[in-house]
Amino acid sequence: MAEDHPAVEVEGLHVGYGSTPVLVDVALTVPAGTGVCVVGENGIGKSTLLRCVSGLQQPDEGTIRVFGGDPGATPEFWRAVVTTVEPPTWYPGLTAREHADLVCRAHGLDPDEAGVDEALDRFGLTGHADAIPPSLSSGQKQRLILAIALLRPSALLILDEPEQRLDREGRQSVAALLADYLSGGGSLLMASHDDAFAAASGAEITTMESLGAAL
Amino acid sequence: MTTTVPLAPVRRWIGRTQSSHRERGATAGNIYFAVLFVAVVGGMLHRQVAAVFWPHAPNASRLAGGALALVLFGLLYLALRRFGPLALSRPAASWLLTAPVSRRRLLVPSLRLAAIVAAITGLLFGLAVVGHAAPRTLDGQVVALLGGGAAVLGVALLLVALAAQAGGRWGDALDAVVSLLLAAGLAGLVTAATRDDPVAAGGWPGAGTLVPLVGAVALVVAFFFALAARGLARTPNDRILEAAKTAGTLFDSAFGMEPSFLTDMIERRYWARRRLRSVRWPARVPVLVGQDLLLVARRRRRLLWLALAVALPVLLAPAPAALMAVAVLAGTMLAAATSAGNAKTDAGNPVLQRLLGLTTRQVIQQRLWVPGVLAALWAAAALTLLDTLDALPPGAWWALGLTLGPVGAVAAIRRARVGFVRNELLPLDTPMGTVSTGPLVNAVVGPDALLLGLPALVEIAGGHPLSWTAVLVQAVVGVIGARAYLSWLAGVGPL
Repeated sequence: MAEDHPAVEVEGLHVGYGSTPVLVDVALTVPAGTGVCVVGENGIGKSTLLRCVSGLQQPDEGTIRVFGGDPGATPEFWRAVVTTVEPPTWYPGLTAREHADLVCRAHGLDPDEAGVDEALDRFGLTGHADAIPPSLSSGQKQRLILAIALLRPSALLILDEPEQRLDREGRQSVAALLADYLSGGGSLLMASHDDAFAAASGAEITTMESLGAAL
Repeated sequence: MTTTVPLAPVRRWIGRTQSSHRERGATAGNIYFAVLFVAVVGGMLHRQVAAVFWPHAPNASRLAGGALALVLFGLLYLALRRFGPLALSRPAASWLLTAPVSRRRLLVPSLRLAAIVAAITGLLFGLAVVGHAAPRTLDGQVVALLGGGAAVLGVALLLVALAAQAGGRWGDALDAVVSLLLAAGLAGLVTAATRDDPVAAGGWPGAGTLVPLVGAVALVVAFFFALAARGLARTPNDRILEAAKTAGTLFDSAFGMEPSFLTDMIERRYWARRRLRSVRWPARVPVLVGQDLLLVARRRRRLLWLALAVALPVLLAPAPAALMAVAVLAGTMLAAATSAGNAKTDAGNPVLQRLLGLTTRQVIQQRLWVPGVLAALWAAAALTLLDTLDALPPGAWWALGLTLGPVGAVAAIRRARVGFVRNELLPLDTPMGTVSTGPLVNAVVGPDALLLGLPALVEIAGGHPLSWTAVLVQAVVGVIGARAYLSWLAGVGPL
């Protein structure tokens, strides 16, 4: 990944579902090492934008560059980018902790040195380390996927409403983790409904309207 | 509760409203097509069906007959347990189970249907056992009585399964016992296939003994059936809801021709019941190989079944050798498939694979190992057993079995990655009606890779002594096939 490129560059993005336009001529830039938080009401196209930037949805028109390259096309992309815009299908017969260990080891990290125990503790999952993820509540699953996303090395986080289903303390600690991530040189693109959370994470807040979305 | 809403008018209203939304004559059309289908398929296959249930001459010894009965009725019981046996349709489970209606009235039609299915299945199984094991001199009346007795036995099994559904832990224990009996039955079949016992031994009871016996058993079963119908209201809600989900998923699977709905549901339920403890990953092996090993270690019972299944190709020893060879190859794929679950998860939804940051090729390269080893060991054991029983000409068959490892692994992983049936594929118009190609194409993905086992198939079917050159050829073909599959995956796309 070339460091001189912005983390995310979106120009002239058009996306519609059937005859309903969702994104019209959207432009967005996330400079490398910074964070941008997109806010706006439900159904305005935040998740669609994030899905396009993650390369999980093909836009009707427009260009998207992530670190100067096409999104989603290469394994290098997925080594640099972590996204939580799609829910995972958990591996059968693997506990929550083993999922975290697996991701760490796949990236050549020792789970103990990477801090799996601390991460589970921070997200309030220590008591559920031996549970299989499908048996967790939706909030716990959300916290587990965030914990795993932050454990593995990456250059860009694309998070869809990470504060969702978290209590106040949980939001504060996730915001602090995201601020750490940014100060460590990472880039962040997220959608959120919580301005205070976005501000605490150190991301610049921008509305969907200002990006040029249709209503 | 004092106010109970009568159920029959509600059911009638539902039926009337549903049929008013259907096109006029749609039901009649469906019945017509169902009858036509049965007639056409029956006409095509009646010889084969007759051979399965009532061969020209009895061909099973006393041991084989007993073992066959054990296997068939064991399977019937386990199937009844798996599907309920008491189930409601999903809408009825949502709307009527929670309504103030008589629980007994709500559940009696389900019980009646289950009893009819159990009785007919029992009758067919009973006739099959008699057809294979009884001399043709047997009186028609005796055959009818035996069939009736088997039908009663089917209903009795249903009642036991019903009690297990409502009851506690003993149901699981009984399942384990029946599984053991089933395994014993399979072992009996295999033993019978290796011995030359006299076919169709006499000693079948006459009508004089059977009439009072079957009559008494039928009375007892009828008594318990009435008792069960009275006690239906006591079946716990969660068991009925679970069975309703099973029935619904079964319907979805059949209707969408998508067996994975059902297998996925069974898998989910299995893990939901297990209590796991996180373990440290084995540090020496590649991480995904470690994951597959962990999964295999957590499903040790599967390994047991796999070990028992080593003996099954022996059953085909009297059949043409080519059939036995195909069975060995298919078994190799099934052995590998026992540890292909993680590949299936990755193929179904690659979110976790993206988190791992690995390409599909890297992932599959690691995920081929454990299935490959299982397949190699299974094929080696199966061929060695056939060799010891002199079903094969001399040669180092164990070595040929080991070379089948990559073949089984590639087939199982291809099968695991097949995904949903593509119902948008063009249907084929044939004189017998329209055939949708989606399920057909879906069914061959996976088994098609067994073509890599062609050298082994030729050797097993050929009946010549096995040479080391043949082993070497199979080894080379298998490894080249696996490598070609991996390079093909690299071209499919990163994730």
